[in-house]
Amino acid sequence: MHSIDRLFEKSSRALAQRTSRRSLLAAFGQLLTGAVLIPLLPMDRSARAATPGAKSARDDPQSCDYWKYCAIDGFLCACCGGSSTSCPPGTAPSPITWIGTCHNPGDKRDYIVSYNDCCGKVSCGTCECNRNEREKPMYRPSRNNDLNWCMANADANYHCSVSVLLGVAEQ
Amino acid sequence: MNQMLLRAGLLSLAACFRVIAAAPLPAEHLTVTAMPPVNAHRIYIVDEAFNNEIDARVHVFDGDTFRRLGQLDAGYYPTYNLSPDGKTSAIGTSYFARGGHGARTDVVEFADNQTLALTHEIILPPKRAHTLPTPFGLAYSADGRFVYVAYVTPAASFGVLDPAKATVLGEIDTAGCVLVIPSGPNRVSSICESGKLLTVTLDEKGNEASRAFSDAFFDPDADPVFVQGIPMSGGYAFVSFLGDVHEVDFTGAQPLLRKPWPLVTGADKGRWRPGGTQPGAISSPMHRLYVSMHQGGEGSHKNAGTEIWVFDTVSHQRIARWPMRAHKLSDVLALQVSQDEAPLLFAATNQADLAVFDALTGQLRHIEPKMGQTPWFMHNP
Repeated sequence: MHSIDRLFEKSSRALAQRTSRRSLLAAFGQLLTGAVLIPLLPMDRSARAATPGAKSARDDPQSCDYWKYCAIDGFLCACCGGSSTSCPPGTAPSPITWIGTCHNPGDKRDYIVSYNDCCGKVSCGTCECNRNEREKPMYRPSRNNDLNWCMANADANYHCSVSVLLGVAEQ
Repeated sequence: MNQMLLRAGLLSLAACFRVIAAAPLPAEHLTVTAMPPVNAHRIYIVDEAFNNEIDARVHVFDGDTFRRLGQLDAGYYPTYNLSPDGKTSAIGTSYFARGGHGARTDVVEFADNQTLALTHEIILPPKRAHTLPTPFGLAYSADGRFVYVAYVTPAASFGVLDPAKATVLGEIDTAGCVLVIPSGPNRVSSICESGKLLTVTLDEKGNEASRAFSDAFFDPDADPVFVQGIPMSGGYAFVSFLGDVHEVDFTGAQPLLRKPWPLVTGADKGRWRPGGTQPGAISSPMHRLYVSMHQGGEGSHKNAGTEIWVFDTVSHQRIARWPMRAHKLSDVLALQVSQDEAPLLFAATNQADLAVFDALTGQLRHIEPKMGQTPWFMHNP
């Protein structure tokens, strides 16, 4: 079972390195659209994807494809005992952050997102997520996710990252 | 039947005699292996150990014999570099008093590359920039007199160290510009948010004597450059996210910004991009630039490359494309090339394998599996 897990982990990581999330979503959308054209499947399966309440990866805080995570490079606190907006027990949030702008496909709005690191324990090591939409190198620190944002904490060890909505991005 | 039994018995007897007659194994002596002499094909691989970041390492590997020569411990978010003569490793790192937590100590540790043993250290103020590997987190001056260490608290500055006397000489505020790019014996340049370079000139004691800003050499909004600048003769080349090469000549009193040239042209434009944790390497003697390339778009700048593209640094023409799939290799995150006339190209993949190529022909020489956990940057003499 462990080897099967590792096989899927390897192939998923390789796919993530080869493919941008947007192209993956686009391909997935094409697949759904294509499915309704197959004569042997009269049911419109694309309608199911649009049903309110149906949980897709882009709405799942434990998935790197969650729409708020568009500029996280680290471990998802939602997999480490916290949530997308709360640090795991025993860790401390970083008071300084980097900022992203993510598109919510649910309401078709762009949101400003604050990415805080949770600090004081060794890296969580689970749910690694590496997305870098509009991310900039460290000479533009407020948009950079390579810096350890636990740097100013009493315990500067990086554990995981959260995403907190600050508001709608004005055009 | 009887004959068979007799033959089997004789064979068993002969085997017993052989065991009894063989000389015993000699006593063994416990030793410490000596490092072979440094050569141009030795490589120092920074393993960030991303899943357990307090435990980073630098693996030392020989590209001729394909042997793992040893390891340097590198602590937390290390900033590593070699001395100009290649004899010393300087490891900027941080330790916590109780492993994963506790009081933070920032330090530069020095190791003898002929023994891989630590020789001395310099304690820093707890300001060292914790960021992913670049050649500019810690750097020596060209004459080896000073060591510079980038600080981010998040206010940006850098420390000036005297490695011979093992002391911190001072700290210089860089006001919104980051990293330490050594330029000449007493100049340090930093990359600014505006796309300019700040160059600070030091006096004999390591104090600031003067400072000046260059013009912007790239547009940080439209097309940022990777901070993993590539050493080249007289300066560094900075590759941009969209694939332009910005060469900066640091031989004069102020940086000379050369006209950028494109990696991606024609039908490839808009489809292929450079990416990874160390996207490119230059062989100065052979005038070759190697870049890890992938097909991607906005936000794909950390993607590993499916191909290595090879360029002539004089004519700026692409002279080869080497797909990694041809060797059943996964995608390439980091590239380094040796600086001799029979150069080896080292490629670290996103599966942590290290491939060694003939840098002139692209012929695969060796794949070293699992070179640590996350080998994201490579240095060589």
